[in-house]
Amino acid sequence: MNWPFLLLDAADNNSVANYFPIGIQLIFAAGFVATMIGVSQLLGPKRKTADKLETFASGIENHGDARQPVAIKYFLVAILFVLFDVEVIFFYPYAVNFRELGWSGFGAVLMFVSFFLIGFIYIIKKGALKWED
Amino acid sequence: MPIQYYIYLCLALFSIGIIGVLTRRNAIVVFMCIELMLNAVNLLLVAFSKMHHGAALAIDSTTKAGIDGQLFVFFIMVVAAAEVSVGLAIIVMMYRNTHSVDINFLNRLKN
Amino acid sequence: MNAIIFSALAGVVMMYSGIITSKKTVIKYIAAIALVVLIAANLLQVYGIWQISVDTRDMLSFEKFGLVFNTLAFTATLIYVLLSGKEIENAGVNVAEYFALIFFVLCGVSILSSFNGLLMMFLGIEILTIPLYILTASDKRNLRSNEASLKYFLMGSFSTGIMLMGIALVYGATGSFALHTNAPVALSATGGIKASFLEVAGMILMFVSMAFKVSAAPFHFWTPDVYDGAPGVFTSFMATVVKAAGFIAFIRLFEGHTAILGPTWKILLAFVIVATLLIGNVTAVFQQSVKRMLSYSSIAQAGFMLFALYSSNDMAKEGLLLYSVAYSLATIGIFAVLIKLKDYAFDDFNGLGKTHPALAFATTVCLLSLAGIPLTGGFFAKYYMLASMVKEGGPLWLLIVAVLFAAVSVYYYFRVIQAMYFKEGTPSVQTEITSGFKAGMVLLAILIILLGIAPSLVLNLFYF
Repeated sequence: MNWPFLLLDAADNNSVANYFPIGIQLIFAAGFVATMIGVSQLLGPKRKTADKLETFASGIENHGDARQPVAIKYFLVAILFVLFDVEVIFFYPYAVNFRELGWSGFGAVLMFVSFFLIGFIYIIKKGALKWED
Repeated sequence: MPIQYYIYLCLALFSIGIIGVLTRRNAIVVFMCIELMLNAVNLLLVAFSKMHHGAALAIDSTTKAGIDGQLFVFFIMVVAAAEVSVGLAIIVMMYRNTHSVDINFLNRLKN
Repeated sequence: MNAIIFSALAGVVMMYSGIITSKKTVIKYIAAIALVVLIAANLLQVYGIWQISVDTRDMLSFEKFGLVFNTLAFTATLIYVLLSGKEIENAGVNVAEYFALIFFVLCGVSILSSFNGLLMMFLGIEILTIPLYILTASDKRNLRSNEASLKYFLMGSFSTGIMLMGIALVYGATGSFALHTNAPVALSATGGIKASFLEVAGMILMFVSMAFKVSAAPFHFWTPDVYDGAPGVFTSFMATVVKAAGFIAFIRLFEGHTAILGPTWKILLAFVIVATLLIGNVTAVFQQSVKRMLSYSSIAQAGFMLFALYSSNDMAKEGLLLYSVAYSLATIGIFAVLIKLKDYAFDDFNGLGKTHPALAFATTVCLLSLAGIPLTGGFFAKYYMLASMVKEGGPLWLLIVAVLFAAVSVYYYFRVIQAMYFKEGTPSVQTEITSGFKAGMVLLAILIILLGIAPSLVLNLFYF
């Protein structure tokens, strides 16, 4: 095993050496995190204010417990997002085989997208995405 | 890596899912366990797909054997998403009526 | 292909019809017209006149058996919509969506009747069941409906998970999702684990999951609760068309595919059949509600339909078609009357024979057909099932057990007839009964009797 071709060697044979690059990666990652935290601890200025002890909520003031019901609209939008998001999965095989599939593949995808759009128009017509009542 | 490792891993995940479904009492946790079962199957299908592809590749270098296993995984994912949306809607509906997602409350139909 | 495409399009049309108009009766008529178009399109394909041909890459194969079943299932749905349309209108606010979901279920049915690979089978089953979860939950404020849908959903997706594991293991063993494959088994590649072991394990998992879906005995426990809790109209649909489609899928999946399981297969199946008949029939005897009785009776009828799987010869296939029709029509008829009543108890039928003689007559014919009395469709259905089993060389004891349980079933079906004719009281009819409904019920009864006299009416479709 010679150092410059470490990755190529690892791909060829099936042994513990396969995991050597991953080990290096792990050490680097852990070392980087440790170094950054240590250095910022050593060099950075220290100001203790009340705001800093608060729970971090993306800059918004937090209020109350997380375990309280939220408006059902959030749920609806989240569910619709999941549905429409996952359908994108079918575009990956199409993208990979774009040239081979040609026009018939394009027709199939067009049909898929149009069904998709029909569903989307239906949702809008039903008012599922209307945020204000 | 030999295929049996994948088979054992997937069976372990699948069994964890089944045991979860049978023993847990929170509808959402049960649901998550079902998802775990589906994902174990996904992993197994991808592993088998790679195995069949490798076996066919030794004979024919332009083979497309084993592709269908990965396609099946896509379909499982999409169907699982559809199931998630319907299932969560049912659970939310249940919660709005009973203020609980405990499936021990599901005994109104027993008598 | 016509059936699949047209049912999906009809579903979309129904979705939008709810946006265009809010008149419930109009929506119902649109659905009826769409069903007629669907039947016509399917018939065009059955007789080879016109079809949309799509290169399905052998994932679907359109054989006579499946196409004829499509016709029968769509016709049963049309009868169901015509008889119980009023109740679908009153089931909730989203009438158009209910019809759309029914059409999507029919799309699943037509995929299940023609799949040629495990991928299409999986998709068919999911397209069939996911709309049913929603239909079960359609009575949103009713806790029983909620509970039924949650149970159905958890059980349904659990069994889907099991089925997928089975499919994955079979794929690992054979390297293909095709149903009838002789692909060389990649023995060496599975490293230490025998491919035949994987395949057998996979097939058993698939069997368990399909038994879940058609509510065969050790896996039947969700059925009574779900059928009882769901709104009556949708129970009617679930217990008939959907269940028959499940059996079609079951027989397509295992037909000519069981050699690897050896003689154990028949023993396993005989055990499942006897258990199903026992649990379905004996528990139905003790029920106080007709709706719950009918759900146990559907388990019992599933036991009879499993005979088709046991023998899986041509006669069994004919018999299964006949059984689906006879059973579906009879159950749709009984439910159509049942959901007109206030409650689902036996006492609600008291005196129906005096106040509504036509309805009582039609209900009686339906019940006799379910019990398998001669001169009704149910008799020939059961006869074909048992005869196919004997033809295949099934054991005598299995035949005797089946006939015994058929005799037990007479008891609980006759309780309803007894309540209608021999008990005093006023039937608690809730919805107004129109003369059109009465005429429809009588026509249904005549159809069932016609099937009992000349079952070749249905079977000729298969050979024409």
